[in-house]
Amino acid sequence: MDRVIILECVLASLLRFWLSHSEYKQIIADRVEVSTPVNSWKRVLEGSVLYDEGIDPYKGDIFHETPFILVVSNWLMHNFSPTLICLIFIACDILTAVLLYKTAALFMNELFLKQEKEKGGYAPGTEDLHVTKDDIKTPPIYVLSAFLFNPYIICPCVAQSTTVFANFLLAATLYFMAARQRILCCLCLSAATVQSIYPISLIAPIYLYFYKPGQAIKTFLILVSYVLLFIAIFLFAFAQLDGGSWNYLNSVYGFVLTVPDLRPNVGLFWYFFTEMFEHFRPLFVCAFQINALFLYVVPLSFRLHEEPMLLATSLTALSAIFKSYPSVGDVGFYLSLLPMWKHLFHYMQQGFFVLCFLIGTSVFGPTVWHLWIYARSANANFYFGVTLAFATSQIFLITDILFAYIKRQFALAHGLERILDGKEAKLILD
Amino acid sequence: MFILFTILFQLIFSVNTFSNLYSDSFHEELLIKRLSSGHVYSYFQFTTLWNTTLDKSTFDHTHLWPRSLGEILGYHNVQELHVSLTQGLWRYQNWGYPVVEAPPGAELWVWFKPDTENVEKEWKLLAGALSGLLCASLNFIETSNSMTPELSFRPVGVADISNPVNSSFLRYATLPREIVCTENLTPLKKLLPCDSKKGLSTLLNAGYVHNTNYHSLGLHFRQTCSGKYCVNPVIELRQTVSLVYDLSIVEPINQDWSIRKLFGVGVGSGCPLASSSRIYVDISSNETGPVFHLTPNPDSVALSMRGGYQSTFAVYDISSAEKLFNINANYRKLSSVPLSYPPPLYVNRYIAGYGQERGRIVTKIHNKHRTPLKIIYLENIPWFMPIYYHTLKVTANNRNINPIQKRYHPGKERVRPYFLEVVLEIPARTSIEVHFEFDYIFLKWQEYPPDANHGFYVGSAVITCMLPVGRNYTGLPPEASLISDSWNASQQGYLVQLRTESLILTLPTPDFSMPYNVICLACTVVALAFGPLHNITTKRLQLVKLDEEPKGVFPFPKE
Repeated sequence: MDRVIILECVLASLLRFWLSHSEYKQIIADRVEVSTPVNSWKRVLEGSVLYDEGIDPYKGDIFHETPFILVVSNWLMHNFSPTLICLIFIACDILTAVLLYKTAALFMNELFLKQEKEKGGYAPGTEDLHVTKDDIKTPPIYVLSAFLFNPYIICPCVAQSTTVFANFLLAATLYFMAARQRILCCLCLSAATVQSIYPISLIAPIYLYFYKPGQAIKTFLILVSYVLLFIAIFLFAFAQLDGGSWNYLNSVYGFVLTVPDLRPNVGLFWYFFTEMFEHFRPLFVCAFQINALFLYVVPLSFRLHEEPMLLATSLTALSAIFKSYPSVGDVGFYLSLLPMWKHLFHYMQQGFFVLCFLIGTSVFGPTVWHLWIYARSANANFYFGVTLAFATSQIFLITDILFAYIKRQFALAHGLERILDGKEAKLILD
Repeated sequence: MFILFTILFQLIFSVNTFSNLYSDSFHEELLIKRLSSGHVYSYFQFTTLWNTTLDKSTFDHTHLWPRSLGEILGYHNVQELHVSLTQGLWRYQNWGYPVVEAPPGAELWVWFKPDTENVEKEWKLLAGALSGLLCASLNFIETSNSMTPELSFRPVGVADISNPVNSSFLRYATLPREIVCTENLTPLKKLLPCDSKKGLSTLLNAGYVHNTNYHSLGLHFRQTCSGKYCVNPVIELRQTVSLVYDLSIVEPINQDWSIRKLFGVGVGSGCPLASSSRIYVDISSNETGPVFHLTPNPDSVALSMRGGYQSTFAVYDISSAEKLFNINANYRKLSSVPLSYPPPLYVNRYIAGYGQERGRIVTKIHNKHRTPLKIIYLENIPWFMPIYYHTLKVTANNRNINPIQKRYHPGKERVRPYFLEVVLEIPARTSIEVHFEFDYIFLKWQEYPPDANHGFYVGSAVITCMLPVGRNYTGLPPEASLISDSWNASQQGYLVQLRTESLILTLPTPDFSMPYNVICLACTVVALAFGPLHNITTKRLQLVKLDEEPKGVFPFPKE
């Protein structure tokens, strides 16, 4: 088994290394789907050079990374060659994959143990739905493969977008959550939050993981205070790195929250706020950010309190769909978590549909972009249409997997047969 | 007794003011020069000089000085003001250097007095006031398109030696899209003491002025001094009109030109209020280029040796002319093409790259001189053109040149333009390229101008240089106020501030007819997630008998 992992990692590294040194690197890095204003490496370079010249990069419009990335990238650029920097990105990606593999392994193991414990309560005849011993071994490998060979993950790594680091922090958060390391988990969550704000919603699944009956409020307070403390430390440290100035807050977080840059990306914000009536802009910015940040946190936490990992995946997915500057790196991250729910696939109805749409939009996106921006025979609506379809297919995927989960739960409790009082019945949400 | 004293005092005071009031003079001059490309350059300069100090009460009473302009200058604490309105591009390579440089569109740069409290506010108000005075859209000048060049611009007049030059009192802005027309010429003429009734300004007929390849109106106000030791303060206003005629349009058959052909009327007598009214025709090319003959004969001929180059001018004094007359230039030989001899320094600028995603601005600066030249390159990038400073490169024949100094302030969307100033040394007889990358930006739909696909104008860059030679140079020396003062005025260096081409940037546009559709569609997608998630989280799965299925609003009969 370990040999498979090593082989996959080596293959994936070679693939990334080859792409990074091919002519495709620049093409990939220039794609709007991969590089957004908040993660593009070209902008990091710009910030780093401005930092060298003693000009505050946060005064301008180009640089929106945290001071930590600024200082580190500046140090890297002075001490490392471009090849080495590219290797750092690859290593980070591989590490993320390994963390996800371990997370999946821990999760599957736990799921199996939980099933063994609760097996007595399941309805008879539902053995087909059970997690088998084999399921402990294979899904983690699938997770690993889905991450390492996912084009949505390879592209950001080759383009050296900082989504690679954000994904790494997210993976670490999930791993420490599954491994029940409370402090490390809070630390990683805080780091992921200061890097890209949206992971803050993961505090809900983390709470569900560490919650012990009878200590609900205490656990909650401890977790929140840990996270807030770490975030405060990070923000303060960043201010120190930036020479004691808090200018970066507006340029990093204000930029993500108020969405001033309307460059197209795979999300819903850009065209919506291009065409928005000025009077309603603040209202809709707030509505969309609430939708992306915490609208679904509480209701889903109630519904999925038995399955915090699924809650974490759904929240990550929803923020990847609805965040202000999403890139395919965010999409690839939650897609590669899906094999953990191999046991739900039986109840998923939209798989084929979603797959076709993902492939279709991935091909159509660059095509209509070319028609719009280069050939000028199309217009913005074409690309907007593709991003809408891309978002819709992802939404279908998420709702489908949640439906599958509740259907399976229902089947485990009530059996596979849908018969009521001897007559054939239909399963509906009511 | 007291009343008598007051009257006496007022009398003394007013005599004092009036003696000061009449210490002004007005000069009108016209320089006509045949450019080596065959175009005819005519440069009008109306100079008002006034021996007075500049303060708020100076312009309460004026004589020859335009009071409307004076009041604005006094009110906004202006030390020096330069405004130009230009249509067309000055082609340095073929035309040499003009007397006053101006970029396409409108340009305004102002030095405020060092005691100005709120420069930003005065700048905005001044631009608004000038906009009304000149009927130009200068009111669009605000902080988001103005900057404070640190090296390129210095006061051209006299400055207080005890106050070191502090560029925080300087503001510079261009409006490259400004279209210059009759409505700007008329207010400019109204500022003249004789309006367009008498004098050289009668030649400025809109129909002919706007037929030109290039025309530029300018107002230049500064403080200077008179006397041997520069002790008497003088304020100076130069109103300029530069016109470049293409003779192949004016006179397609031969190369002859005359005042009547260029301006539609002959010259009458000068403005009676003017101390001097003169026309100068540059006849230097009679020795080197195509030979022409002037009728009537000039009143005198002036020789000027400047910076190692000799020029000859035919001088006509029109102050005492009694009736309309014409100045005619007849060429001896037809169809002789003069050799174009490029000036020591000229520049081209363009946008490279294709598509509307990312591009590159390339500025080519050509040094044709035999020694290296030091230049200051001032880039004026609007906020909607985010540039990458780290891609800034200066190359000469694919070899990198290290700038001597770089100043950069990153811009901010809708707030501040990108400011870049680079000091360079161009090797002798070399062309260098200054280039950097930028991104095309996506604006909100209401920020696009009407006819959005026409594109956005990007103002000219300014290249400042002290030329060591006076070849092709016609500018005035700093201490001079009149064109005739520039003759035989050899200097250490000859300041040129070249304005490059302005650029047009076609930003990608959204579909302007779509706001409702886009808002509806995007909200629908959000609702697509909200609906099922709401169902999943609030409802529970139940088995329902097939025949007990809840009926819809419209129960369709089953077969």
